[in-house]
Amino acid sequence: MFNISNLVQKAQSAAQQLIDPMQGLNLTNSDRNPAKSTLFQHQFRLPSSQTPLYEIPAELTIPLRTSPKATRSAIEAGIMLGSCTCPRPTCASPPPRQASRVERLNSQSFQFALAITTWNGIPQEASKDKDAQKDKSQIREQRITIQLAGTRQACERFCDGLKKGLRGGVGNVGKLKKVVAECYSEYLLRPEDKKTANPPDAGLGMMFKYPGDPKKLRDRAKMRLWAEYLRDNGRNATLIRQPTFHKLIRVGLPNRLRGEMWELTSGSFSRARSSLAIDEIEKDLNRSLPEYPGFQSEEGIGRLRRVLTAYSWVNPEVGYCQAMNIVVAALLIYISESQAFFLLSALCDRLVPGYYSTTMYGTLLDQKVFESLVEKTMPILWEHLVKADVQLSVVSLPWFLSLYINSMPLVFAFRVLDVFFVEGPKVLFQVGLAILRINGEELLDATDDGAFISVLKGYFSRLDESAHPKSENPKLRAINRFQELMVVAFKEFSGITHSTIQDLRLKNKDAVLNNIENFAKRTAIRNLGPDSKLLSPEELGAVYDRFYTILYERQQRDHIIQEETLRRAKTARPSAASAFSDHQDHGVEKGRVGLGPSTSLMDYDAFREFLAAMSKWAIADSPATPRRDTFADKDQGQYFSSFRKPNNNLLSPWGSGPEPAEHEFMQRLFRRWDVDSTSTLTLQNVVTGLAQIKGRRDIMGTITYFFELYDDDGDGKVDREGILRISEALLFLSRRGLEGTLSASSSNPSLSTLTEANGPMSPPIGGTMNERFLGSVSAFIRRCFEYADPDHPSNHIQHATKATPPKTTESDENQAPDDSAFAIGDDEDEEDEEDLLAFDGPEESPQETRKESPSAAKKKAALPSNLPALGKPDTENETQRSVSKAQSEKANVALDPSNPLHMTLPTFRMVVLADELLEQFFESSFPTSLHVTEGLPSVNPSTPSLTTFSSFGRSAASSLPIPQASANGATRGLRGVLDNIVTDASRVAAEVRRRMEEAQRELEQNAVPGQKDEEEDEDEDLRAPQSAGGYGGDAERRSVRSSDLDLLDGADAEAGASKGQEGSSQSILKPTEATSSQTGAADTPAQRIVEFEG
Amino acid sequence: MADSAGAPRPSSSVKLVLLGEAAVGKSSLVLRFVNNDFQENKEPTIGAAFLTQKCNLPTRTIKFEIWDTAGQERFASLAPMYYRNAQAALVVYDLTKPTSLIKAKHWVAELQRQASPGIVIALVGNKLDLTNASAAAAGGNSEDEDEEGGGGAAGGDGGDESGDARKISTDEAKTYAEEESLLFFETSAKTGHNVSEVFTAIANAIPETSLKSTRGPGASNAVSRGGDEQRVNLTGPRGDAAKDSCAC
Repeated sequence: MFNISNLVQKAQSAAQQLIDPMQGLNLTNSDRNPAKSTLFQHQFRLPSSQTPLYEIPAELTIPLRTSPKATRSAIEAGIMLGSCTCPRPTCASPPPRQASRVERLNSQSFQFALAITTWNGIPQEASKDKDAQKDKSQIREQRITIQLAGTRQACERFCDGLKKGLRGGVGNVGKLKKVVAECYSEYLLRPEDKKTANPPDAGLGMMFKYPGDPKKLRDRAKMRLWAEYLRDNGRNATLIRQPTFHKLIRVGLPNRLRGEMWELTSGSFSRARSSLAIDEIEKDLNRSLPEYPGFQSEEGIGRLRRVLTAYSWVNPEVGYCQAMNIVVAALLIYISESQAFFLLSALCDRLVPGYYSTTMYGTLLDQKVFESLVEKTMPILWEHLVKADVQLSVVSLPWFLSLYINSMPLVFAFRVLDVFFVEGPKVLFQVGLAILRINGEELLDATDDGAFISVLKGYFSRLDESAHPKSENPKLRAINRFQELMVVAFKEFSGITHSTIQDLRLKNKDAVLNNIENFAKRTAIRNLGPDSKLLSPEELGAVYDRFYTILYERQQRDHIIQEETLRRAKTARPSAASAFSDHQDHGVEKGRVGLGPSTSLMDYDAFREFLAAMSKWAIADSPATPRRDTFADKDQGQYFSSFRKPNNNLLSPWGSGPEPAEHEFMQRLFRRWDVDSTSTLTLQNVVTGLAQIKGRRDIMGTITYFFELYDDDGDGKVDREGILRISEALLFLSRRGLEGTLSASSSNPSLSTLTEANGPMSPPIGGTMNERFLGSVSAFIRRCFEYADPDHPSNHIQHATKATPPKTTESDENQAPDDSAFAIGDDEDEEDEEDLLAFDGPEESPQETRKESPSAAKKKAALPSNLPALGKPDTENETQRSVSKAQSEKANVALDPSNPLHMTLPTFRMVVLADELLEQFFESSFPTSLHVTEGLPSVNPSTPSLTTFSSFGRSAASSLPIPQASANGATRGLRGVLDNIVTDASRVAAEVRRRMEEAQRELEQNAVPGQKDEEEDEDEDLRAPQSAGGYGGDAERRSVRSSDLDLLDGADAEAGASKGQEGSSQSILKPTEATSSQTGAADTPAQRIVEFEG
Repeated sequence: MADSAGAPRPSSSVKLVLLGEAAVGKSSLVLRFVNNDFQENKEPTIGAAFLTQKCNLPTRTIKFEIWDTAGQERFASLAPMYYRNAQAALVVYDLTKPTSLIKAKHWVAELQRQASPGIVIALVGNKLDLTNASAAAAGGNSEDEDEEGGGGAAGGDGGDESGDARKISTDEAKTYAEEESLLFFETSAKTGHNVSEVFTAIANAIPETSLKSTRGPGASNAVSRGGDEQRVNLTGPRGDAAKDSCAC
């Protein structure tokens, strides 16, 4: 039994870390010091694409050559665990760690123990960590036991991540095997009888001896020690570095292992070894110019392989494209490997840009150019082609792509190449036009592409024949068809110049790229899988556009900002040869889908931007730059057009769009959508994520979804913290008003009276709706705590029965019924405590409870009409308050952290359904708040679209001439909310507030110093200017305030009161500040109230 | 099959397109069909190759105009150019390579959405010679059906042990083909097994009504639409499937 911390002294902590086999940062750990993962990478020389995902203390056991076990695992999976292993990530492809099996063991002393069996069977079985090596002999497996010593939750999370990682790596096991097979260590440990094959290449030394005298170097002994070490601790990809490892290295590596160890310890093992392109290249090596004997030989194939492979590494964006093999093979007949390499680079970068890119846009573009040239120079033929519905490019595309090498006999193709290299790509067009011109007559007879092709095929096969066989003139007769072709090409079409081509390319570029993008879009959407069916085709299309637009925009901005920085630094930057033009576009279009591989992964920031373009709530509250609806002109699929216009906003980090908000809810959403834990979202992730919210359109589904967002460990419970966070999220989501179908509030008589009482400027329905929602949220918190199950055993039946009856009576009085409900909840809490003492009930609440609580919920559901009571005249509030104050102390019992509680999904559902507004929120408001298809209407951000506590109560029509009235509403609504919170959950509110403050600190810097807001509202600090003046000296309000003063202590209260009378916005804000400073110290309920009142 | 000197039966041409992942044997199938030949190292197809071959049915002669497309992923965007107006499609996968079936499914979905309505699609698993199951192509022995499992197995080199490189069971592919109303064959271009059968079956499946001796622009579209009723078997279910799989 080793303790990991001993094993890895240099690791920061005793930790077992799981490395994500997929690449990308993990935002799940965003709270983690990023330097840590960097350190980790350095420690184990990992590529930056591999970051530790989880960290958990653990103990590790490596059985040393114990009884062999020969079970072969059914699950092969890639897994990479950090810490002790030196995981060798292989290659670009997510390196599969080679665990063949992971089991969970029953362990006495630890909650979690994992056994990892690797697929490196070795003559002796022994391995630590999750190393496994692949060995065909499969003699024994390495088995490592890891005992996790973290908390249960941490362990579960770790295991979850491990599972995901394993699953993700499954596909790569095969590749890794190939890589590993080249390691000398594999060969070394193979049993003698299997050492038939040649040993892997361990350098020239194998042929020409290694320097030094092996005897003096004690090479054999060293080898023996290493063999032993490797047997016990895994090798290559699964090596575990124990202290011995370092010792062994210090005494000198044995010759044949030296190279492998260098590679391993330097971290180069993981790079380079393979790529997708290499697989593709291998497929084609044997079939490149097979008629040329050189490419039937190892020598020729080897050269071809090296050139293509080298290029695919150097230029991964191009990688390998079929036809390159043919071109390079042709080149290799005349030039050396390295020459061929550079020539290929010149081809791809300058001569035929984009021909071999992943979208082949260059090829497609030149086809369009070629077609327009044909139309211009041979109108009759062109007309015929159109009439016969023959697509020219089916014929001409291979000509261009293989530079005629594939089409003509080699001798002639090389002659075209001769001219091509000196005169540039226009030669390809000239030759192509000449071919059509010469065969024009026959082509006019061809009526379909089949006939068309056979005419040309015939022509190419007779290129060496005389062009004028019947001519009397022997000189003329000696001219072969190819010579004729060249003459026609360069005489008749001499007018075709580089600039002709360039102009036509520019002209056709957009159309071609749009085509490619549409195709890519269609394909991508089609392959999105079953979840996508939940969304309409329009929605899918829009999601696709939005997804790639955001990525594209961000890339643009990065690029421009980078350029700008460079420019400022006065660094002369050699502009990359632009693909299309002489006019430098600074590669501004880089990242465009049509141009080839671009990012297709969305990180968290991009995700925020993505949401901000669709949802009001995702827009930050800071004063935003005017939003330009960039999406409007994208509907035709030309979603890039707008970005080509000069855009002054590009230099802002968020471009022209609104600045996205940042909220914990969005992080959770991101994590939820990021099913692979890669910290990035694919289009698939986004579509699936959206489909789950928008697609199912049933309230239960949405409620469940929301609940699961906050159920971190997936145990079906959300704790106190989670409840608070849910309420925060609800406030966050609703702060700009609710959308969707909400029942008209006019159905509520009390409300309408209320609004009239407010005077002529009564807040319109929208405003009150939001007011009501705030009330609902506070009621939500209260109810959550009321109905939450204590983590301790409790008597739920009592709970349910007691809770119901009194409510009905109280609600009649137009008194906020929730208070009464709460009172009951209070009692219960005490009872619960007693119960706790009395007996140890079952942890799970009895079934009957579940049945009963809905009935309670129903009763409650009848109440929402009373909720607007929040906005009721303050006198009522006063009464309420006095009651609530008395209760608030009791309430604290429920909120006492020493009395942990949780809420289950049924409870959550019940609480939501108990409130009409919340119900509507989940039913329609939340799903519809994501405007996938139509985007956000151009919101003028200067109009206060925020429903915050400050603007709350103000009419949505914004332009309120009399701020007073709105102030009324604001105060009252605010008051209502605060009252409830104070009454029921002063602690809760304190916490909410604290957290909001943290989140808000940054934003506040933008706000006018005096404009701080109250309470939760601090979250949304975009305050309309009107609202600032909104706190007029409203008598009613003041009266409340003064009545509240009874509750307040000394100076703070007075400050609040006096300032309040001044009627300035600051009057309210100052006390807030004052009290906020004492938040932490506030112990008595009274003091707490100060905070909320301020 | 190609006795072009047949009796003066009515002759009509059919445009057929081959689609599938790179190196699954599309060109080899065509070469076998057209020239009854096999080349071990066939040059990769650039863009597409065009060949023709006649197929004699009892009542008529069908002249296949075969578009053999390039398989590499990046050539996919060119495909519409080739399957435009096609009346038949051969979607080929390599039954030793699980990924190739996934790609084949993508192609089928694309054809059902984008190609001429009523296009006859055949799903062909090639390289049967690499499996144990010889001629009769007995039921698949292979591992789990889903691609992931297959992928893992491929990684595990499981095939080598038995000498059977098959990674996609007959049942799996067949079930899929039935769901999508595709013709289904397992072939070997190398041995010639089942190759001509594929083409004959396609020829038979092409509805009479959509055949014309000349294929004018758009004509086949119109015709195949007209022929829908007669081909309830083929197009009926597929129409539904297409609707289901319609994603955009």
